[in-house]
Amino acid sequence: MKESLMEILCDPLDKSELELEVEERDGEEIIEGRLIGTVTGEEYPIEDGIPNLLPPDMRDD
Amino acid sequence: MGILEDKSRARLFYKYLSTVYDRVNPFIWNEEMRAEALELLDLDPDDRVLDVGSGTGFGTEGLLQYTDDVHGLDQSIHQMEKAFAKFGRTDEVNFYRGDAERLPFADDSFDALWSSGSIEYWPNPVDALAEFRRIVKPGGPVLVVGPNYPSSTVFQRLADAIMLFYDEEEADRMFAEAGFNDVEHVMMGPTYNPEIAITTLAQVPES
Repeated sequence: MKESLMEILCDPLDKSELELEVEERDGEEIIEGRLIGTVTGEEYPIEDGIPNLLPPDMRDD
Repeated sequence: MGILEDKSRARLFYKYLSTVYDRVNPFIWNEEMRAEALELLDLDPDDRVLDVGSGTGFGTEGLLQYTDDVHGLDQSIHQMEKAFAKFGRTDEVNFYRGDAERLPFADDSFDALWSSGSIEYWPNPVDALAEFRRIVKPGGPVLVVGPNYPSSTVFQRLADAIMLFYDEEEADRMFAEAGFNDVEHVMMGPTYNPEIAITTLAQVPES
């Protein structure tokens, strides 16, 4: 995902802001990392460039 | 509403659906119908548009004919893999895994929203429609394509058991409950079944 998308992304649970933690990047593109809910503390992984923003009760893999 | 109310069962269903979806899909939703719906949405070249339930990317492909700022959201990675094969993982489209009823986007993030062939799988369609109203800018269009409620009783029974089908009246009720007041419907389909799909175009209220 492109780092600029942080402007529109929010926590799906309460719509609060997310914090980005980058593990691997390629220029503007975040390849691996995490999005963390600043209020809920929930962690949403970025896997192979795709942010997984499914609420925790819907994750299966 | 039917057996897909249980979200874990829905996920299992999508997993197997993705293996046949692109083959089954053209029978109910083809390029002509897509073109007609895209004309209704009337995107500008710099519009940012979200495809909810982007799946294997059939609708996404149509949106790319109008704008380069296309975003796709789906819960199923198995369906999305097919879209990656068409557009790359991060090249032409911004993809997200997410839930239509709990969208991970801030208010007024998009100029327009498209969702084709997805509403019939959502456990609580009104919740998803309310989310669409929240994330699209005031005055922006929301277009939803779903299956029209079948007229034959055999298909009605199947429809009730497996997924949500709805008619104009039910679409009006769902959109009104989600806070839309400017709503129109167009029936679409191939010549042998011209009313198989119901396309609803709604404008996000100004206030």
